[in-house]
Amino acid sequence: MSNGIPMAKEKFSTELDRLVVDVLKMGELANAMLCRSMRAFKDLDPKEVEWVHSKKGELDWMDRDIEERALQLLTLYNPMAKDMRTVACVLKMITYLNRIGRYGKDIARDAEALIGQPHISKLVNIPHMQVLASGMVRDALEAFATGNLKLISEFRERDDEVDAIWESVLRESLTYMMEDQKKIPTCMHYIMVARYLERCADHSCKIAEKVHYMYTGEHIEIK
Amino acid sequence: MTVPETAMNRAREETDPGMLPSQVRMPSPPGTERRDSMISIEGVSVFYGAKQAIRHVSLEVPERSVTAFIGPSGCGKSTLLRCFNRMNDEIPGCRTEGSIIWKGMDILSREVDPVPLRRKIGMVFQKPNPFPKSIHDNIAYGLRIGGMRDRSEIDALVERSLRHAALWDEVKDRMDESAMGLSGGQQQRLCIARTLAVEPEVILMDEPCSSLDPIATGKIEDLIYHLKRDYTVIIVTHNMQQAARVSGLTGFFYLGELIEFDRTKQVFEAPRQELTERYITGRFG
Repeated sequence: MSNGIPMAKEKFSTELDRLVVDVLKMGELANAMLCRSMRAFKDLDPKEVEWVHSKKGELDWMDRDIEERALQLLTLYNPMAKDMRTVACVLKMITYLNRIGRYGKDIARDAEALIGQPHISKLVNIPHMQVLASGMVRDALEAFATGNLKLISEFRERDDEVDAIWESVLRESLTYMMEDQKKIPTCMHYIMVARYLERCADHSCKIAEKVHYMYTGEHIEIK
Repeated sequence: MTVPETAMNRAREETDPGMLPSQVRMPSPPGTERRDSMISIEGVSVFYGAKQAIRHVSLEVPERSVTAFIGPSGCGKSTLLRCFNRMNDEIPGCRTEGSIIWKGMDILSREVDPVPLRRKIGMVFQKPNPFPKSIHDNIAYGLRIGGMRDRSEIDALVERSLRHAALWDEVKDRMDESAMGLSGGQQQRLCIARTLAVEPEVILMDEPCSSLDPIATGKIEDLIYHLKRDYTVIIVTHNMQQAARVSGLTGFFYLGELIEFDRTKQVFEAPRQELTERYITGRFG
């Protein structure tokens, strides 16, 4: 026993802290995959495509490793109250973060398909969607790390903004496709990528819901 | 596939009308007696000589529910439990203040005879304490003391009590064997059956599983769940997971004070008091 805290509890706290740090690392990786996939898509850069693809295995490994350790903590220590809520939050977060990273991989795959062909027009909306979605992921992670729930207090409005751009991209792409059938394959990639980014913003909202529960014990819905 | 008993129990818990939030904001304001309240504890303090073990505790225990008292050693949870059937009367130098209102009477009043009270508010102890008699006689004894003479009536009640305590199938072929030959878990269920035989309305349990192995503990926990359909159960336990599994309401005690009393889900998932949070997350105690 040290500082009045039982030894087993100290071990649990250390393990839980390590778990939180690793979730943050996983979040950074997922967000980096998203950011660099957009660089790949915007600049049609094969090196960025390759980097994103190379990280998929690491992301999956982190997902499995964190899940295994979180389940072990539940089994060995039967955590309660905020400890339990933290483990529950971790278990949900890694699924959302894995999805976000995999959307990055999907965007890189779309970029790969477009390499060698110029974009139909200068890309503005889609990269802006990525900036907004990545900002939400980053703020959700920081709220998770610090408990500063102000960072996620406007996620509903921020998600609405991403949704509005997604609809705009969809309309614009449909217009291009109706004007010229040859543009259909390229526009389909635009629509898919915008859809992935819209889903990333949704996933960050789900993370924010779990973080709110972790710190307050209260379930909220952001939609 | 057979649904595990514990899963069934949880499903029942979710739909338990005894756990509506409106019923668990304890204690209710003075003068607003609630019909669903089975036992109303009002300002109870207990002293062992000069030492105060319970400090002005007030709460209400709804009927046909399981209420758990948790807290570190010496917090007063067992002392409070013993107030419900006046077991503290047996402790020299023990003095009780306040009132426990049940069915319109104050249990703590000197005018209440503790002997018939204990038939209605039965108790199961930490260590199984069967009589050194046969399995049958362990249960029949209390009935005979109560004046029952008809052998067939006694046998029927013995069987009913054992069935209710989920022990009948294990002992029906050896009713005349000594109860001391039963396993610890069986002995504890026999003690519960013995309590049930005299048809109580409230069952007090003081650490009923602390001397039992996990299998026997599981059986007692399932039994507690079944009992709440017909009885009001108040359980004191050191095992927080057990409290979380079996009870609908939980009270957390510390140094003789009731710190928090709420729905069990609330207490273990998001306690409102910092002290409760620290205790149930193992940061002290």
